Amino acid sequence: MSSSHTFIGAVEIGTSKVSVLVGQHTGRELAIIGRGECPASGVIKGTVVDYKAASDCTHAAVEQAERDAGERIDFVFLAQTGSHLEGFYNEASASVKAADNMIDRDDIRTVCELAMSKELPAGRVVVRHLRRPFRVDGRLVPTSPENLVGQRLEVGYWTVHGQEQRLADNMHVIRGFNLEVRELVLSSLASGHMVTTPEERQHGVLVLDIGAGTTDYVLYRDGAPHTTGVLAIGGTHLTNDLGVGLRLTHSQAEKLKLRFGRALPHTRDKAEKVWLDGNYSIGDRQFPRHTIEQVTSARFWELLEVVRRKLGNAFSPETCPGGVVLTGGTAKLPGAAECAGKIFGIPAHLGETPAWIAQDLRDPGYHTALGLLYYGINSHAERAPSGRRRAGFLGSIGRLFSST
Amino acid sequence: MGGCALKEATTNPLARSWRDIPQNVKPRAMSREGRRRVKLRALRIAAAAGVIGLAGWGAWEVTAALRSQGGLPGAAGGAAPVRELSLSTDGVLDKAWLARTLALPPDASLMDLDLEGLRARLLASGQARSAAIVRKFPSTLAVSLSERSPVARLAAPGAGPGDPALLVARDGVSYQGTGYDPAMTGSLPWLVGESAPGPGGRPAPIPGMGTVAELLSRAQLEAGPIYRSWKSIDVSRLETDGEIVALTRDGLRETFGAQEDFYRQLAKLDLLLDAAAGKPGEVIRDINLSLGGQVSVALAPVPAPVPGAAPGPASVSGNPPSAPSPAPVLQFHIN
Repeated sequence: MSSSHTFIGAVEIGTSKVSVLVGQHTGRELAIIGRGECPASGVIKGTVVDYKAASDCTHAAVEQAERDAGERIDFVFLAQTGSHLEGFYNEASASVKAADNMIDRDDIRTVCELAMSKELPAGRVVVRHLRRPFRVDGRLVPTSPENLVGQRLEVGYWTVHGQEQRLADNMHVIRGFNLEVRELVLSSLASGHMVTTPEERQHGVLVLDIGAGTTDYVLYRDGAPHTTGVLAIGGTHLTNDLGVGLRLTHSQAEKLKLRFGRALPHTRDKAEKVWLDGNYSIGDRQFPRHTIEQVTSARFWELLEVVRRKLGNAFSPETCPGGVVLTGGTAKLPGAAECAGKIFGIPAHLGETPAWIAQDLRDPGYHTALGLLYYGINSHAERAPSGRRRAGFLGSIGRLFSST
Repeated sequence: MGGCALKEATTNPLARSWRDIPQNVKPRAMSREGRRRVKLRALRIAAAAGVIGLAGWGAWEVTAALRSQGGLPGAAGGAAPVRELSLSTDGVLDKAWLARTLALPPDASLMDLDLEGLRARLLASGQARSAAIVRKFPSTLAVSLSERSPVARLAAPGAGPGDPALLVARDGVSYQGTGYDPAMTGSLPWLVGESAPGPGGRPAPIPGMGTVAELLSRAQLEAGPIYRSWKSIDVSRLETDGEIVALTRDGLRETFGAQEDFYRQLAKLDLLLDAAAGKPGEVIRDINLSLGGQVSVALAPVPAPVPGAAPGPASVSGNPPSAPSPAPVLQFHIN
């Protein structure tokens, strides 16, 4: 492989599994050349609670991905989730300074800095500033307002912040493999970027990434993220409910959920029963299918209701013609889209990746990791437009020293 | 989770970002593979530093070599005038001689100098065997000389008794010596049988001078009294007969064979002179040491005794000298 290529690792440390994809970035193209996956441990609701266990499984997944790719990862884009992530909106306005009222870069920079300068509580750090479209004298400007004429320039930022210690724990897990975290990307933004089109984002669309431990959501409007959030509820809660309700172990309940769970009750015959294992072994039992569906659907319904409440006034069916897009492992629950459609009052469907993504990477479990690569590269390029990778011997030496 | 505020003209410092969180972890918090990668990276850094160091050193060496050969002009020193001459030599020449010989124009700059021409000027004197001239920026011209050492003197053609003599070096080059101690040059034997170059001619090396210099240095080291007794060295028969003839201040001719071992010949000569010193009546006129195992010694003719006169070698004025008896020639075998 040429040394002018960059090998980027997209790492998602989830509650149920750790997913790693290796992307080969040439500056213009990105190719997925390796993947690794490992059952997660030491992680609860997106938060590292056992450093060694989390490190072991993450490093195993990274090693597997590197073996699959046949290359070493240069740096990592890390997905971030967890209930400690919160967001707020802050906006600012500034008068255009030029006598002819033509907006220049200084005006834009000033208003952006004003909008981002909001103090955070102690122990909180900014994860990402998400800019909403500019307004010039109240007129929406979807792109840059530079060189437009107006008297007043306004902009707003949705600022996502998180607890410093928890973010540090996640990054240290990666650093324990001597890899640098170059970008920290919200899981919702990563998966949302992958399962929606620019047109949908322009018109307004709500993306729900329902994982095992958390549910990440992002509401797009006017082509940009409008509101994001994380709920500490996921597929594990459905499993727990089944375990408690039917007096099953976690693994048995998980098995039943995957085989018979539904987001909306479907079975009319209350007497219909299903076997736990179906192999007539000792301990195999029968359970009413209707009961299983009721338990899972009740929790799933509640989960979506909470999301709706959290969105509040930000969401309305009129401003979200793109509908609801579901992704994540729990979104595979039958009837999930139908359930979401009923709750949000707009069409809902399961998210799908673009057609050019390889078939074996189209599983919803990889949407976040895929989005990490594509969204992370864009974000990285925006942050350092002049950071083009240098090639050749001197470039290698420069990278060697810069990496220290 | 939400809140809206419209603000203008007041800017708080930006809140801390996740990028401000230090990512480094202690080695014990790293996995085995992580620690291995750290070591590997350290090795790569060390190797890269080594490569850079070697490349830098190599470039420096190449530049220094080019500069010492005058092949690489210094860009920064283009217009710097020469303010200082530095001389390093293994002989007796001094800065005054250097300044006279180079005769640099007063406003000459380092880059204007023709180093090859200056070097030729230095070598033209003959006293300098080799010369290296280096520009040392900003304003110094450094000269390094290797000088010849004189082993004999040579009378310049047409020179009178008071005129300075030429000096002859071991390699046969004759030159006008500068800066030598007059006592040292005065003690050097004269070289006869060779013609000195003309006043304007370039000194041509005297053939066979290496052999003569070998005899002289051997005599100076091993037989100091004999060396000091030599007045001149005749090399006229060196090429034809392979003989070097030393004439002492007492008129004794000592003939050495160029093919024989000078140490043995000097030892024989010393033995004979010691033996002759014990016989005051016999005056040796010629000793030929070039005959291999034999040494031919010719004694001075004994004057005929004059009646009534005191015995002695000097003739008495007023009386016609009587015919001397023929000089006897003795043959010795000395091993």
